[in-house]
Amino acid sequence: MEELSALPPDTPRKSPIRVRTISVNSMRSMRSVAPPFTRLPTEHERPEILGRPPILAPTPRQPPNRHLLEHSAQQWVQSLGSASSSRPVSPISPTQRFNSLAERVHHVKIPTQLSSSVIAEEREREPEHAMGRRWVRWMHKRGVKGWVVPCLLLASTLLKLCVGLGSYSGLSTPPMFGDYEAQRHWMELTTHLPFQRWYTYDLQYWGLDYPPLTAYISWFCGLVAHRINPTWVALDHSRGIETEASKVFMRSTVVFFDALVYVPALFFFTRTWQATRTKRSQNLALLTLLFQPASLIIDFGHFQYNSVMLGFTLLALNAFAYELDMLGAVFFVLSLGFKQMALYYAPAVGGYLLAKCLYLGSANGGKLFLQLALVTSLSFIVLFLPFLPPFAPLSTILDPITRIFPFARGLFEDKVANFWCASNVVFKWKNWASRSLLIKLSTALTVLGFLPNVVIALRVAWQTRLTGSQKPSIHTPILPLFPYMLLSSSMSFFLFSFQVHEKTILVPLLPITLLLSNASLDSTVFGWGVLANNIAVFSMWPLLKRDGLGVQYLALLALWNRLLGYNPLRLSPRSFIQVLSLSVYTAAISLHILELLIPPPARYPDLFPVLNVLISTPVFGLVWLWSIKCGVEASWALDTLGSRPSRTSVVVTEDASVPRRPSSIGAAQGRKRAPFTLDEK
Amino acid sequence: MEKTATAPPPKPKGKSWFSWGLESSEYDLLILSTSLKLLLFPSYRSTDFEVHRNWLAITHSLPISQWYHDTTSEWTLDYPPFFAYFEKLLSIPAYFIDPKIVDLNNLNYDAWSVVAYQRTTVILSELVLGAVLLRFIRGSVDPATQRIISASLFLHPGFLIIDHIHFQYNGFMFGILLWSILMARNGKKLASGILFAVLLNFKHIYMYLAPAYFIYLLRSFCFSPSGKLEIKNFLSLANSVIAVFILSFGPFIVMGQIPQVFSRLFPFTRGLNHAYWAPNAWALVTAADRVLLRYVTRTGADVAINASGVASTSRGLVGDTVFAVIPNIKPMHTFTITVAFQSVLELLSFFILGLTTMQIALVKLWFTPTYKSFLTSLTLCGYASYLFGWHVHEKAILLVLVPLSLLAAERHAYFRTFILASVAGVFSLFPLIFTPGESMVKVVYSVLWIIFVYVPLTRRVYEYPNSLSFVIIDTLEKVYLAGFPLLQLFVTLFPVYMARRATSDVSGTCVSSAEFTCPEPEPQTPQTKAMEFLPLMLTSVYCSVGLVWGFCRLTYIYLNEQTYLGPLDRI
Repeated sequence: MEELSALPPDTPRKSPIRVRTISVNSMRSMRSVAPPFTRLPTEHERPEILGRPPILAPTPRQPPNRHLLEHSAQQWVQSLGSASSSRPVSPISPTQRFNSLAERVHHVKIPTQLSSSVIAEEREREPEHAMGRRWVRWMHKRGVKGWVVPCLLLASTLLKLCVGLGSYSGLSTPPMFGDYEAQRHWMELTTHLPFQRWYTYDLQYWGLDYPPLTAYISWFCGLVAHRINPTWVALDHSRGIETEASKVFMRSTVVFFDALVYVPALFFFTRTWQATRTKRSQNLALLTLLFQPASLIIDFGHFQYNSVMLGFTLLALNAFAYELDMLGAVFFVLSLGFKQMALYYAPAVGGYLLAKCLYLGSANGGKLFLQLALVTSLSFIVLFLPFLPPFAPLSTILDPITRIFPFARGLFEDKVANFWCASNVVFKWKNWASRSLLIKLSTALTVLGFLPNVVIALRVAWQTRLTGSQKPSIHTPILPLFPYMLLSSSMSFFLFSFQVHEKTILVPLLPITLLLSNASLDSTVFGWGVLANNIAVFSMWPLLKRDGLGVQYLALLALWNRLLGYNPLRLSPRSFIQVLSLSVYTAAISLHILELLIPPPARYPDLFPVLNVLISTPVFGLVWLWSIKCGVEASWALDTLGSRPSRTSVVVTEDASVPRRPSSIGAAQGRKRAPFTLDEK
Repeated sequence: MEKTATAPPPKPKGKSWFSWGLESSEYDLLILSTSLKLLLFPSYRSTDFEVHRNWLAITHSLPISQWYHDTTSEWTLDYPPFFAYFEKLLSIPAYFIDPKIVDLNNLNYDAWSVVAYQRTTVILSELVLGAVLLRFIRGSVDPATQRIISASLFLHPGFLIIDHIHFQYNGFMFGILLWSILMARNGKKLASGILFAVLLNFKHIYMYLAPAYFIYLLRSFCFSPSGKLEIKNFLSLANSVIAVFILSFGPFIVMGQIPQVFSRLFPFTRGLNHAYWAPNAWALVTAADRVLLRYVTRTGADVAINASGVASTSRGLVGDTVFAVIPNIKPMHTFTITVAFQSVLELLSFFILGLTTMQIALVKLWFTPTYKSFLTSLTLCGYASYLFGWHVHEKAILLVLVPLSLLAAERHAYFRTFILASVAGVFSLFPLIFTPGESMVKVVYSVLWIIFVYVPLTRRVYEYPNSLSFVIIDTLEKVYLAGFPLLQLFVTLFPVYMARRATSDVSGTCVSSAEFTCPEPEPQTPQTKAMEFLPLMLTSVYCSVGLVWGFCRLTYIYLNEQTYLGPLDRI
């Protein structure tokens, strides 16, 4: 069950879970494992390499500071009750003696407490650099941990409202305005027109081009708006309406649906996927996810409803983690039905479900396959019901379909940090190939992009498939692979597919942020995750600048990085990710300074956006490659499942040998057990 | 510390504090609050924004002799000279950022440059507050608690609402006030006096606090504990304060403009209540007057009704509030209450209340000139002035809440008073922000703030009520606090209800989209017009109940404090 607890290891040679007991050690040892190239250990790092793992080794070599603490902590456990402690207590400080005794007793009673207090001690000397961690710890220390989640939710709502005070896409830019007007216009037309005309009404002015769920939600919002103030959604007359009250209404609809779908999805994600983690790290993960700057600034600043689409996908993931595959499939259909961008996840989701069917063996798997097929198609039919025969002529269904997939547009729009736009700088694709060829090419590349991880998943599922008599375990072994599949599939769509918008980077950002949300500060996942997030926001800078969201850009990025305690200098020294991060940030910051100081040359008015693309694209490309690498590594770890025990996959082997307990997800048992499993090993 | 005692310019001090000795959690708060404030850049701005822009323009483009004479804009300069100098300082970079900012005739200029610039100056000047609050932590008896209090002050919703949405420089001003208080805590009373004099020359509203300062410094600095006059101390304090005033008013004395300056600083032509009734004692009186008027007109009782009073609602922006039934109150009367030297014939009970509390507080301060006693009487001074003052603006509640915050963790009695006053006081600031988007922000932020203050502090100071009367009071206070969400609900929903009724009354005529932003739809029956201010009136009355009660509580606690020694007594 542990593989659930940590979306699989960034370095598969080590145990994927990091529970509090060993968090200090594991972080250190991770650090020493992470760099792919060898080098002489520096003075600072040698202890981790030599004396690993310190608790387990019979005579660990003690580094000067750190292990002393742990060592003495161990001794406390051993010398419980005996008055003579191996650690001399100063005779002149009776209070200290009393405290340490009290602490000692305390430690032994609750093992998790021990580890946390060791860590606390550790960190008091070496202050922690993550604001979020510090705050959560402070709340726990004050005994007000019950307030952590409510405060987080309130604070994130506050932030959303504050971002919403700013301008939005297309503010006072008649005649077409922007995304805000598009969404508002859909409310207007869905409120006043019958279903059949939704996808055909005045297509030149922001015709509806999202799937039906968006239309239904717009309809609902439109009805509410109509009740409050009919002028906000008056057909045709309300075009370009920019009153303060209507803006507040629009903003609050986003906050409302976000709170309805995305926020609960995030909450349940931390409670299901990270069930074996402590409450504290679950809350931390929630914090990381709630304050993700890219999605905040696009949804609440620029104005879109991406969080609903992402939220449905996330709910699907949660359902998969609970083994509620049918429910998950329905959620994913809802996600697709809200915004076609969810298709970026489709190969991963489809691959996962197929792998699951394979894993379950021919009888159960086949049954599941049929059920899934039925449920999926049924939900699609329900979603498109108003456009289907009993309610409309069959041809009506073509309207939404052609609107949703606009192949008539160009290869890419504006400047977007993907392969096509970046390579277009030196290689003019349009001159070289026809549109149909480009479509084929982009499709081929996209498929190539997401295939590796899907194939890996299928292979793993095939190798670990259950034979007739075996009882299906509670979790499929492919689950840890799933986030990487999502990442590589969505990233390959972003990089290679046709007609990509810069905002679509939110789609690949979701899985990488999920991965990052429970990574430790100096792990590789953390480095990649934050880099991808920061550069994603950076890649949208031209758009944000046009929207007048510069201040929000600055504030949200600064706040989120501070919350996470991100500092590229503190990543594992001279590792690839550190060098990459530092150089990319340098480039990005120089670009900003350049843009501030110098107007673009008249010959190249798009110089800065193009440079932006050239900085961002390699990062996204590398993230994509990294996701494949992680998939491969995870599959190595999973390969050994059931066969030979291997030290590369401590937890996974343990998992396979020990019968899985159904309570592992979300149950306290799983969490309490975690420290012991590692101590025993 | 030695340097702080003598050097008035706060800026470099703040800088050096931020460059070293700052803990991570303090950086966290700084970054958190700054990013929040940055997000508030595009929010609603009151006319105070234009007022300050105009002052930038006045001080930049006019010679000093014209500063207090200029009437180009209706927002004439009416702060003391130090603030004018401060604006002059700010106008220099402003000119380089966008010369149009300091153009005197460029009225109501609201380009992004001026918004960003002015908002940034507020954030930067508020660093003084942050720096001083840090100093409070450093030398305190219980740093962990003081840290919470300091953080709560730095993130006070009052500052967020007034400074960062509404637009003013209160954070900066209160930074100086707290600095002065800090000096008093550290025993540097001369510095405290000088800083307070400086503050008075920035914004004269702090005169409300002057009596407490006067008594405290006179007793503890100019007299020895045995009651002997320390002539040297007295002279140095007097001379320094005079020097500060000369530094500030000097140029205007030389130019002979003092009467002009003072006529700007003290405009007694304004009404008793401000645009909306500040929730003080007069709000209760005014409300009682309204109710009486209702009663009188209903029953036709034979009472002389002041005709102009019937027409007067509280809403006259700077006009007089004229009472219909209760005899009128003249400026001089309330002024005397505030200064608390003589009683006045009408409204005797109120006068006596204001007068006695302040006097008793000051007398007690005279006999126990400790830091804590000073802090409490300072709060009471501000409180009495707020409750009984003339033309009190609701923003003046900060004069109470800020010093009261420093007392919050002293013990449960103080803490409860602090919570009551803070909730009522912050709520009373809500009407300043009436735009819907910002209203949500202010409510959510205030709720978050009160959670962050209440939850950790209440555990430190909670005391079990030990007698029946305490239990009853405790329950009543809880009920009172529970009323605020309901009141907020009413205030939010009532206008919607009224708007719906108005549209159903005059259906068909309102179509224009622009009309909805206008706060006052044109066609209104007299009754709806009377109802229009019901939410404001309710807010004001409800908050004033809590604030008056808080005042009584604090006075009672202060006068019965002998038996209890809290952490602050150790200073």
